Formats: sequence, C-alpha cells, structure tokens
Amino acid sequence: MSVLNGINGWAGTVLRVNLTTGSITREDTLPKYKDYIGGMGLGYKVIFDEVPLDTDPLSEASKVVFAVGPLTASGVPCSGRMNVSFLSCWSKGYSIIDAHMGGHIAHAFKYAGYDAMIVEGQSAAPVYIKIEDEKVSIEDASHVWGKGTFEANATLAKENGDEFDVVSIGQAGENLVPMSCMVTSFGNSGGGGVGALLGSKKVKALVVRGTGAVKVARPTEVRLLSNYMIKELVGGNNNHPVPTYPQSWAEYSATSANRWAGAPHIHWEKAPGGPISAGEQPVGQINVAAMRCNKGVFDFGEISTKYTVKVGGCSSCPVRCYTEYDMDPLADYDLPTHVSNTCMPIIKMAEWYPEGTKDFVDEGDAKMILGGAGARAADEYGVWCNYGNLYEDFNMAYTTGVLQDVIPEDEWNEIPWDLMKDGDPRWVYECYRRIAMKEGVFSDLGLGTYRLYEKWGMDDASKNVAGVNFYDFVHGKNFNIGHNGYPRHHGPENCWQAGTLYSMMYNRDCMVHHMINVTSNGAPFEAVNKRVMEHFFGEGCFDKQKAYTPINENKIKVAKWAFNGKQWHDSATLCNWMYPMTISPSKQREYIGDLDLDAKYMSAVVGEDYTREDIEFMSERISQLLRAMTAISFKLNLDSSNLRQDHDKVSDWVFDKEPDFKPFEEGTVKLDREDWEKSLDMFYEAMGWDKETGIPTRETLEKFGLADAADKLEELGLI
Amino acid sequence: MADKTRFLDKDYTRRQFLKLSGKSLAGLALSSSMLSVMGVTAQAVAEGKVTTWAFPQGLLVVNADKCVGCQRCEINCTLTNDGCCSSYISRVKVTRNLYSSRNGNGLYTENNWVYFPDTCRQCADPACGNACPMGAIYAGEDGIRRVDAEKCVGCGACTQACPWHMPTVNPATKKSSKCVMCGACVEGCPSGALSIVLWDDVTAAAQQV
Repeated sequence: MSVLNGINGWAGTVLRVNLTTGSITREDTLPKYKDYIGGMGLGYKVIFDEVPLDTDPLSEASKVVFAVGPLTASGVPCSGRMNVSFLSCWSKGYSIIDAHMGGHIAHAFKYAGYDAMIVEGQSAAPVYIKIEDEKVSIEDASHVWGKGTFEANATLAKENGDEFDVVSIGQAGENLVPMSCMVTSFGNSGGGGVGALLGSKKVKALVVRGTGAVKVARPTEVRLLSNYMIKELVGGNNNHPVPTYPQSWAEYSATSANRWAGAPHIHWEKAPGGPISAGEQPVGQINVAAMRCNKGVFDFGEISTKYTVKVGGCSSCPVRCYTEYDMDPLADYDLPTHVSNTCMPIIKMAEWYPEGTKDFVDEGDAKMILGGAGARAADEYGVWCNYGNLYEDFNMAYTTGVLQDVIPEDEWNEIPWDLMKDGDPRWVYECYRRIAMKEGVFSDLGLGTYRLYEKWGMDDASKNVAGVNFYDFVHGKNFNIGHNGYPRHHGPENCWQAGTLYSMMYNRDCMVHHMINVTSNGAPFEAVNKRVMEHFFGEGCFDKQKAYTPINENKIKVAKWAFNGKQWHDSATLCNWMYPMTISPSKQREYIGDLDLDAKYMSAVVGEDYTREDIEFMSERISQLLRAMTAISFKLNLDSSNLRQDHDKVSDWVFDKEPDFKPFEEGTVKLDREDWEKSLDMFYEAMGWDKETGIPTRETLEKFGLADAADKLEELGLI
Repeated sequence: MADKTRFLDKDYTRRQFLKLSGKSLAGLALSSSMLSVMGVTAQAVAEGKVTTWAFPQGLLVVNADKCVGCQRCEINCTLTNDGCCSSYISRVKVTRNLYSSRNGNGLYTENNWVYFPDTCRQCADPACGNACPMGAIYAGEDGIRRVDAEKCVGCGACTQACPWHMPTVNPATKKSSKCVMCGACVEGCPSGALSIVLWDDVTAAAQQV
C-alpha cells in the first residue's frame, strides 16, 4: 500500500493472477504505467503489450485488466470508479473495450494496495479471486456457480466477513453470453461483455477487503479542494447546475426537466423513520449536496417518491444518482421489491412490452414498476443492455415481424407472450432468463447487435422479412450510431457533430458525458450554457438544441476536449457523469465552472505539478493508443485498412430522419452528409490522423511515445 | 432504560446526553422543539433511527435514514487526522456497516438500505483505556479520550476490549487511534446524516415546551 512504499496517489503495485497455473505475482506500477495514468490507460497498455489483437476474447490467451488510478480513493469526490479493459467479444472488429464500474469496490481494491489486477489464463473449475490486503488467493466458487449476482454477492460477503465487498457475474457471463456484465453493491455494474470473458476463465467473482490507505501528498489541500468543489461547482447528477423546481435562493430553475429534482415537496416517502424531505439545497452548503439529485423523479416523475427509501451511489461521491426503492407492487408477482439503479437499465423497460403497458396502483406507475423489475432481473442474471440496444433490438424485431420470422414455431408457441401482453413484470424476467440461459433462438438477442443483425439478416434489407437494413432504419427507436453494433451515447440527437464524432471513436457506446451535461442541463441557453462554453472554447462552439449550425474549428475543439477527457476520467479514475466541472450552479461565479480542477487535484494528491495541458496530453496518449489498437484489430480480424470507411461510417437515419426538415433548420437534429465528411476531415486533422484512413500517423504516435504502435501499424501496412 | 426515563424531564444537559452517547434514542419522548432542532421526526426516533453523541462542539446527531453510504465521513476523517485516505483506520465507521454488518444490515443482506456511520462513545468508564497495558488512552481536560502515540505499542487490546471495536490499530504505523471529536466527518457529510446541534440550541430547545 502506498503509505508503506511512500508513493503518493498510486498504490504502486499491479497484481497478476494466472488462472491456468495458479500463480499470483506482483509488479511495480510506476516504471511501466505512470505515463498511462491508470485505469483505462493502464489497461490498454497491458492489452497492447501482452494480448495479440487477433486473440479470441474468450480464449485462454485473452486477459482482463481491472484497474483504478492515482485519484481513486484519494479523497477526491466521485473517484469511486473502476475500469476494466479487455477485447470485445461482440462489436465489429473485436477490438479493445472497457467495462466501467461504480459502487464501492474500487476503493476497497485501492485500499488493499493495488492499482490493477491482470487476470490471465483459464481455470478448469469455477473460482473466485479473494484479495485481503497482501493476501491474494484463488478460491473454489462451485457453490455459487449458477447463482444470480444478488445471491452470489450475499453468499460470498457472508462467508468472507463483514468488511468484504464483492463483484460477481451472473448466469449470462457463465454461459458466455456477449451481452453480459458484472454486478457489485446493489445494481452497480460494469458491462461491455466482461461477464463472458470472466465466465470463459471460470471466474465467478472478486472479493476484496482493504485495510490500507492511499497516501496523499497534500491532504489538507485535497480536503479544501473537495469542499470548494461541493460548495461551488457541483450541481445535481450529470452536474446539472440549476434545480428542477424553483428554490428561494436560485436565480434559475430548469427550462426542461433535469437531474436536480430534489425540492422541499420531494420526499423519500419510504424511509423507515418516516418521509424525509429533500428540502432546499443552496450553493455553498456541503450538507445538502446529496439531496439535490433525485433520479427517481427525473426518470419517472413524482410518483417515484412513493417507493423511495433513500438515494445511493458510489464511494466518495456527494451526488447520489441511484434511487433505492422498495416497490411493493412487485410482491404481488412474487418478485423482489428492493431495486436500486439509475439510467438505461431501469428507464427503458417498456421497450420489452411493444404492445403497451398497464399501470399497477397509481396512474402512470407502469414505466417505474416495470423498470424496477427489469433492472433487478438484468442485474440478477448479469445481462448487459448495450446502452439500450438490447431491448430496442427486441422491440424493432418484434414490431417489424422479424422476430416471429426467425423464431421456430414450436419455440414461438412456448414463449409466454400473454405475460408481455398483460404488462406483467414477470415477462421481463422471462426475457432476461432466456438470454442468460441461452434458451432458444430468442436468446440470440444476447449476441449483441452486430452479431445478431448478421445472424438474423437484419444488416441487409434483402435478408429479412421487414426489408430494411436495421442499422440505417429511419425509426424513432434506432440508436445505432454506425454499423459497429453499439448505439450513440448522446450523439447527434442532442450533441450535434461533436457528440457524433466521439460516439464513433470507441468500440462500444462512448460513455462520454462532457457535452450532454451542458446541452441537457436545464440552464438557460444564452445566459448560461452558450456564454460559459464560449468562455472556454470560443465563439460558435456551442449549438442550441434543434438549431444546429455547420461544423467549425471551435466545435472540433469541443469534440476533442470531450474525447480525450473521457480517457482521463476512466484512467484517473473520476466519474465522467460528474466531471469535468464545466458549468457551476453559483451565480457569484457567473455559472463558470473550473476546468483546471482535475489538474489541481492531481497536483495535490500526487505532489507533482500538473497543468490542464499536462492532463490533456496524457489523455490524448490513451486516445491515440485506442485508435491504433482499433486499426490493428480491424486489419487482423476484418482485413480492413481504413477506419474512416469501415469503423466511422455513420448510420443513414442520422441524416435521413425528419424528412420534412433540411439539416441546420430550426426544429431538427438531423445532420448533413457533406458537413459530416468535413467534420471527420477536421477532427482527424486535429488528432493527427490520416484523412483518408482515419489512422494515426507515425509522427503523431511518436509525439506520444507510441513508436511501438507505429511499428505495428507499419508492419501491417496501415501507415 | 432508567437513564432514558429520567431523560424525559426537561433538563436537557450535556451530561445527560453523555450518558446516552452512541445509543439509539428509541423510547424517548422528545419535545417537538427538540425534534426540530435535531432535524428528525418522532417516528424516526421511535423506529430507532436516531443516535446522538455529546461532542464538545454540540450534540452529534446520526440519522441512519439519511445516510447515503458515500463514505465521505471516513475520507474526511482520515485526510484530517491521518494525512491519507482510508476506511479501515477511520475514526468514524460506515464501511463496516455498508456490506453485511454483524447486525444483519447492509447492501448484501435482506436490509439492503440500512447502513449508517458509527463512532466512539467516549465512555465514562472506558473499556479501551482500562484494557490498555501501556496506559496510552487518556482523557484530556475537554473529556475527550485520546491515544498517546508515544505510549501505544499497537497491541490491539483496546480494539478487542471496546464493545463496538472502535479504536483501530493502523497497519502502517502500528499505532491505535480513535475519534477525537474533531467534527471533520460532520462538516463533509453531504446528506446531513451526520449533524452537530450547538449546545446553546439544545438548551434553548429544552427550555421550550
């Protein structure tokens, strides 16, 4: 642990667990990985160095890298994230991707004395990895193999003791379902198919207790910076800077519903000791910060308060984006009533009910109760939703007739469709169970969009009964940003060309929130959002919703800032839902946030001087490595030499939706093809990539110390 | 319960709260003005969700229902007192109640949403101090019991003797430590689960019927 080895920030040790041989070894973190920060950067470096990019992701030679960073568990708010890097088993090119996990396990892992754990090899029998400070062992997990994540986590926590945290995979991971995740705490999960990779290695869980500490160079400064951040820079979840409902101290309330829904009339109605009001939460007061975000109200309206016990989230975070529910109506169906989740896994469950839903007790409660059932079911089986594509694919396949066409009649007749038609919450359990258990053709949904469309002919209009290419399908529920099998994670629909650019750059949904945290934050456009963004990035950098403008240099600056910044957050690790501190809730600050805060934290924790430019340079190194690895994977696995054509191709619906509008007219979010090509040209140039292929040049890679990546690209004829 | 019964009179003093430090207030009939100043409801008190500690600065009120499990109390405690960040050596303890505590509460139990911070009771007759073979745990003029790091040999007798195992031996320094009532945990609590009510306000509330 760092208090013993004298290192500030980093724990100093990378753990290596080989499941084939049973060997457990340790390496120093800093000599090899300091330039890569930690988390995502460290994970990418390990995979690049140690796993050939044409390796079968589910084979013995494949590796999974769990990693935290120098700011994880350093006291910095919202530093409770763990990044897990590995090769994708489902998206086009089968290249490098990550799972990102909150909860509390990142802190436990860092306190145990580790920056990362490289899991390699394959076990013959089910095991779990136990870490108790310096004691690391591979333990028998046969008694929890086959169990859902809630039971597995509870069993392993009970067996190991009351200070152990756990993360486990469900049946989906065990059965090598690509759409699989791992689950910790209560609904905090890491996705991307990591469940299948761990399942292939027969690793059911990681169990961790850490009694150590993270050494901090200037602890008082970290505490004061944290107080400054919580008092002056933090708003609600996604750092929304104005309250949804008017508050007496606030100049503004939200122009559209946002994620600062706490208010005096909003209560946690099911608190055991009686309802607790969220009260008002003025700027400058630390002790009310957690009352700002009431995600249940944002997701489902005020009806959600009826079932809210409290709010939850991750270690060190004062903004609680999880709502912890006790949903009584589920008991009538013999389903668990305790649910805790946020965002996609809970808000879109109506997509599993394409013929409609029915309310349970109160008007308008169907979406919430079904959401609770669905979130709990997905976590129970360890199924990952691919940021909603899983159930959008189901919904589109059902409504267009593709589903009935591909499922054999016997199987179709055996599926309990009456549960779906009745709006029964047991239906969504049935869907996830079939996917996790690989039961029938229905379970192909668990292959993920890329492999599913190929198998069901949904990627070719001539090969499916609907007669459309579903990637390009101009359909309100089509989230596919391109043809790679993953959706936009706030792209053209509200973050114009910038969001589309960074949505294309990864091998899964981008998980970048830099822009959406401003575009949908509820603050006035001219008086706050545009003014502050132009303060940071110059004139014309920021578009109004549904009133987009052609691409320009300052918009490219924003796109690059967001793309590189996400790498920083997943490496440091900091939560990208909250950082960067772009817009402040403080009128006294004129709502201007502090983009230098991350560097200030890094300096105070590590004890070396970092500037914002230093952070951006280190982050861009990881962006360049991501791009180089993607190019190598596309060459090795698809024989593609051109990422612009084969990776960055945007779906037609992005340009063809809303046919009554032309691009850049007020009222539409559609993009323009010619402008998009120009956007790619400008972005590639800003990143130092070849304009024709979208692949980094040698000069660019060498600038970031990545000559070895350049050598590999040259060897493959890519540069 | 004898203490609690006598507490029903209106003579709210720090001494009386000292007797209750670390104990649930369930069973007490607090006046509406006292409930108000503590920021809790009669129902929360009756359900055993509210615990208090008599700190020099005022009355520390812990409302378990408001605890959101963020562990910022532990973070601020250790940044302030230990110059590092840790859960295990924190003088305020929430992590050990968060997962599957010995009381059957926590995220991995049936009572998923029951978790809360806990700390030293500053006992009048301290088991930790009595058990210390080096006499390293002493009470200052302010009544706060502290560990004399010069004398402490890190044997852990204090940890074992304390019914709540609050004193903790730091694995790195091999020295025990315990709550010194600095208030850093309260200052940084983002949900108000931890709060301090000034003694003047407690007294004023006590004088109102």
